[in-house]
Amino acid sequence: MKSVLTGLRAWTVQRVSAAYLLFFLLFALAWVAVHHPMSEAQWRAWVTSGGMREATMLFFAALLAHMWVGLRDVVLDYVKPLLVRTAVLGVLALGLAALGSWTALILIRA
Amino acid sequence: MQFLIYRYDPQSGARPHMQAYDLAPGHGEHMLLDALIRLHEQDDSLAFRRSCREGVCGSDAMNINGRNGLACVTPLASLKEPVTLRPLPSFPVIRDLVVDMTRFFRHYHAIRPYVVDDDPPPERERLQTPAERAELDGLYECILCACCTGFCPSYWWNPERYLGPAALLQAMRFIADSRDHATGERLEFLDDAYRLFRCRSIMNCTEVCPKGLNPNRAIDRIRMRMLKHEV
Repeated sequence: MKSVLTGLRAWTVQRVSAAYLLFFLLFALAWVAVHHPMSEAQWRAWVTSGGMREATMLFFAALLAHMWVGLRDVVLDYVKPLLVRTAVLGVLALGLAALGSWTALILIRA
Repeated sequence: MQFLIYRYDPQSGARPHMQAYDLAPGHGEHMLLDALIRLHEQDDSLAFRRSCREGVCGSDAMNINGRNGLACVTPLASLKEPVTLRPLPSFPVIRDLVVDMTRFFRHYHAIRPYVVDDDPPPERERLQTPAERAELDGLYECILCACCTGFCPSYWWNPERYLGPAALLQAMRFIADSRDHATGERLEFLDDAYRLFRCRSIMNCTEVCPKGLNPNRAIDRIRMRMLKHEV
């Protein structure tokens, strides 16, 4: 059985997430530029408006997936001993999962 | 001309070192290999590989002033002095400029470098249209000199498991071949974390290929074929 995030799948996730990150960043920057100056309340209302909350969540999910593939590549290249590699990948996965959960919590509560 | 050449003789027990040579190229000696042959006449302990002397066999691949290339097609006039010659990076050294190609050819054999077709052989030959034949251009010309693979940082990091640009270019050569019936198997073989996907598109391979080929483009084509195959 193939791993979900290895080979072609990891490569595809990295490219698709990069495209979404670029699209979202350009969209967000354009929106902020058009509505400049913007108060914190206006910004918060925009982020939590219909569809935007989900789009922001998707942005952070894409960012974390992109980070995972990139960091995993670095670990595969440089960390050779299997035990150390497993430990480093485990810490990375936990760290990214914690970041993701924290981000989701912030966005849900906002 | 001044030369600095990597010397290593495992039987002597001495550490590798750079040895300086001076040589005045003679009439008609235009290429680096000509100079090496003259140096060998002066010092017959100097070891290097050579065969065809015209960029076809790929035997005399080495690191020339920091870039991999073939000595036989490198003009002496293009080289800054001292001309520094080292063995191909990341390859185990047998002696001086001679490297062990065992691992390189193991990766090459792993991609099954032959047309796989279990159908009964035709009476004459397996034909291709001109368009199908054109698909092999830029792929079949590889001479397996290993200049690209020896200059690939991804290969330096994972020489045992990453196949390297030369083997992957050859893999694409058979994936692109209309007469081959094992495309799916070939793509599935390459779809793991190491064999193909350690390539980070650094493009050193394309930069140094003495035949002007583009292994990076071949690797991209494999990824695209994989994507289509998966969908």
